[in-house]
Amino acid sequence: MSLLKPFSKLPGLNTANILLVESEEQFQQSLADALVEETAVTVNVRLAKSLPLPMENEESRPRIDLVVFIINLTSELSFQSAEASLKYLDPGYFLGKVCFMVTNARKASAPTERLDAVRKLAASLHCPLLFAEDQTPDGVANATERLLTILKVSAGLVPMATALYLSNLTRCTVPPDIDQPSFD
Amino acid sequence: MDDSAKRLLQRFMRRIPTQMLKTTLEKWSRLTVAQQKSLDFTQSKWALTEALLDICEENKWTTKHISELEMIYVIDNPNQGMWHAFQLMDPEDDAHSVELTQFKEQFKSHLSELIRHVSVKIKKHTDEAVWIRIAWGDSYSRPNHLKPTYVVHYLQTPYVFVTSLTSKQKPLLSQALVLSTRHHAIKDANLSGKKFTAIRDLLMRQYQQAFPTKYPSPLKEKNQTVSNPLIEREQAGPAANRLQMACEAFGDGMLPQLQSAVYKLETKFRDQTNKTMTEREESFRCVVKFASTNLLESLRDCASSGIASTPVTPLLSSIPLKGRNYFVITDNSPGPSSQMHQKTDG
Amino acid sequence: MEGASTRGVLSHLSLLEVQARSRKTQPQQRSRVKELKAEAEALMIQRDKLKAEIQTHERLQKLRMSMDKQCPREQEEEEEMDEDSEDSQLLRLMARHTHLKDLLHAHHLIGGYDIIKTHQGKGVCVSVATSYEGVCLDTYNLEIDLKPKLRISRHNVPPFIPLNSLAEQSNMQTNIRAFLDTLSRHLNAFAGRKQQLKLLKEQHKSVEVMESNVLCSILVLMLTVPREKTAVLCTLDYTDHTRCLPTRVHFDCEDKELPDSPEWKKNCHLLMETPVHTALLTMKKMGNIV
Repeated sequence: MSLLKPFSKLPGLNTANILLVESEEQFQQSLADALVEETAVTVNVRLAKSLPLPMENEESRPRIDLVVFIINLTSELSFQSAEASLKYLDPGYFLGKVCFMVTNARKASAPTERLDAVRKLAASLHCPLLFAEDQTPDGVANATERLLTILKVSAGLVPMATALYLSNLTRCTVPPDIDQPSFD
Repeated sequence: MDDSAKRLLQRFMRRIPTQMLKTTLEKWSRLTVAQQKSLDFTQSKWALTEALLDICEENKWTTKHISELEMIYVIDNPNQGMWHAFQLMDPEDDAHSVELTQFKEQFKSHLSELIRHVSVKIKKHTDEAVWIRIAWGDSYSRPNHLKPTYVVHYLQTPYVFVTSLTSKQKPLLSQALVLSTRHHAIKDANLSGKKFTAIRDLLMRQYQQAFPTKYPSPLKEKNQTVSNPLIEREQAGPAANRLQMACEAFGDGMLPQLQSAVYKLETKFRDQTNKTMTEREESFRCVVKFASTNLLESLRDCASSGIASTPVTPLLSSIPLKGRNYFVITDNSPGPSSQMHQKTDG
Repeated sequence: MEGASTRGVLSHLSLLEVQARSRKTQPQQRSRVKELKAEAEALMIQRDKLKAEIQTHERLQKLRMSMDKQCPREQEEEEEMDEDSEDSQLLRLMARHTHLKDLLHAHHLIGGYDIIKTHQGKGVCVSVATSYEGVCLDTYNLEIDLKPKLRISRHNVPPFIPLNSLAEQSNMQTNIRAFLDTLSRHLNAFAGRKQQLKLLKEQHKSVEVMESNVLCSILVLMLTVPREKTAVLCTLDYTDHTRCLPTRVHFDCEDKELPDSPEWKKNCHLLMETPVHTALLTMKKMGNIV
């Protein structure tokens, strides 16, 4: 059980490496296909179902600049898997190199409690929480764009910006009324 | 043309979709070319029915002919109604040499010995299947052609597929089948579903099964989705392994479209906090039913995507392995640590 | 010798005896040394031999290892260049010989079937390939659990092949080879019959297949005699399910004398001895059928 460390390897020239973790392995594929289209920087995408990552890939794996947990809100398993994976990340990652991406948030079958749980989780870890639409090409393009913005910063490719600085601005905060009973 | 023939035709016309009517009538090959041409298939069904009734009247066709037409339609569209599978047991020495004409004669004579009013029609389909249509009557009434039982049997195999059979008719059919196929007994194969083809393929093993081989499996080649060198799957090995296991358990490629699987649990209620339930003498029963448009494919997907653990639990892999979708699970040994034991009856 | 007189004659005699004995052994000892030396030499030679043998054995082993790994040809060639002598060539041959011997042994054990281990050695998967006239047809697989006793856990053999009774009859527990051989014969014969039927339907449009079954063990054909246009019903019975040739051929015709005519008797023999599609071809050439 090895921790994934943010600074254990040297960065590559003009490259950014992103790790997409999704227990259902559906959305990550289309995201990955869109992410590698980026021409300004070389984007390496690693796909995983859950953490920890297998030891035998240790050598070939580049330095991971951003870890994205994709959670399907309609599935409890998806949330649990992401939660369980978190403990295999070095604490250094939580200084702006982790973000959560939620899909299917608009579906009626997604319970609001689960969304609240994800928000609380993201807030407690000081991570940004993104919402994405995984069914439409537009949604995928949108999600890709937002991930690329964060990725470029966390890979150190944007002058004058650091991951920690960005995450201070983008991190999820729990609204004060989340635990209040709703009146409607 | 008597009343029952008329009603049979009317019912048949209600059941058949208009676009299938033409090909079915062609296969029936009783209409002359002129009669065929006179039918306008763009007309409403009611008008068509009237036209057909006239033709039948003209030719003095009876229920015999109409039931033939119905049979052609059912053979071509077998995925209707509820099909149940039965298994013939203990073959006699000459069971493998039963041939069609002999079977036809024997079946008809055995059945008519058991029940006076019965009408049997036997037809062989192109895929070697023997289709039997039975219209049952009782000792006083003539055979009711509106509620026929259909039986499908492949000679030399132990399986029989039956639809719309009442419990009263079951022993009669069983006996006729057992005698005419030269077996000693017949039992319920615990497999049923709406799709005849699915049930048949499952029992006759007419679907693609995956086996471990030492050669590179085509499974791997088929599932190489990652082509971009910049994208790498971290857990590709385990994923491929899961897929292999799932395919070994449920089959490869297109799977028989089974719609449901039922597990009946007969066990003891065990909960230390709930004394009243735990101390009850009689067994605690519950039924678990899995339903899907294609159950086996769903289960395979569950296993390959990691939602269900691999290797697949015998409870699930028994569906294709034993060819049944109804299981009774009983507790064998008393005591809290006893394992669920799958009962294999018969 | 003075002491001898004082001690007595007898003791002197015994002294003399001892002296005499010791004098006698002296030359004997010398020959013993020679003997031992020769023995040592022989042993030394033997040791050298054994040493050489060990060496060759070791080299053989090494060669075998590389052979087992099936390393690429080029590498082997390179090694050959290093020690290009008669010895190494001989060694290579010997290694090849033992390798083949082992393969042959393994082949005898599993009988030429493709067998691989499954479930970490708890079971095996056997594949039985079928072919007819050099055409590879379906492959059937059996997954067999090894413990506590041999048990077929999964297979794709069609239900009309009586797999379980075959396993019982041929004593699968003790003689898996025999079981697999019988099964293979059944499957090959079935595949052959099926293929024959397929070829018959393809090649002989004028012959109508009146009846057949899934096991392809019964075949009823409608043949037509050219001039008289009489129909002949030909029944082929394949009672022996391990063969692709019929055990009984029977003709039915309105013309009662036709089946007994010498021509049709010959046809009957032909059908018994050659596959049905080729037999029909010959009959067509002879002008017996359309």
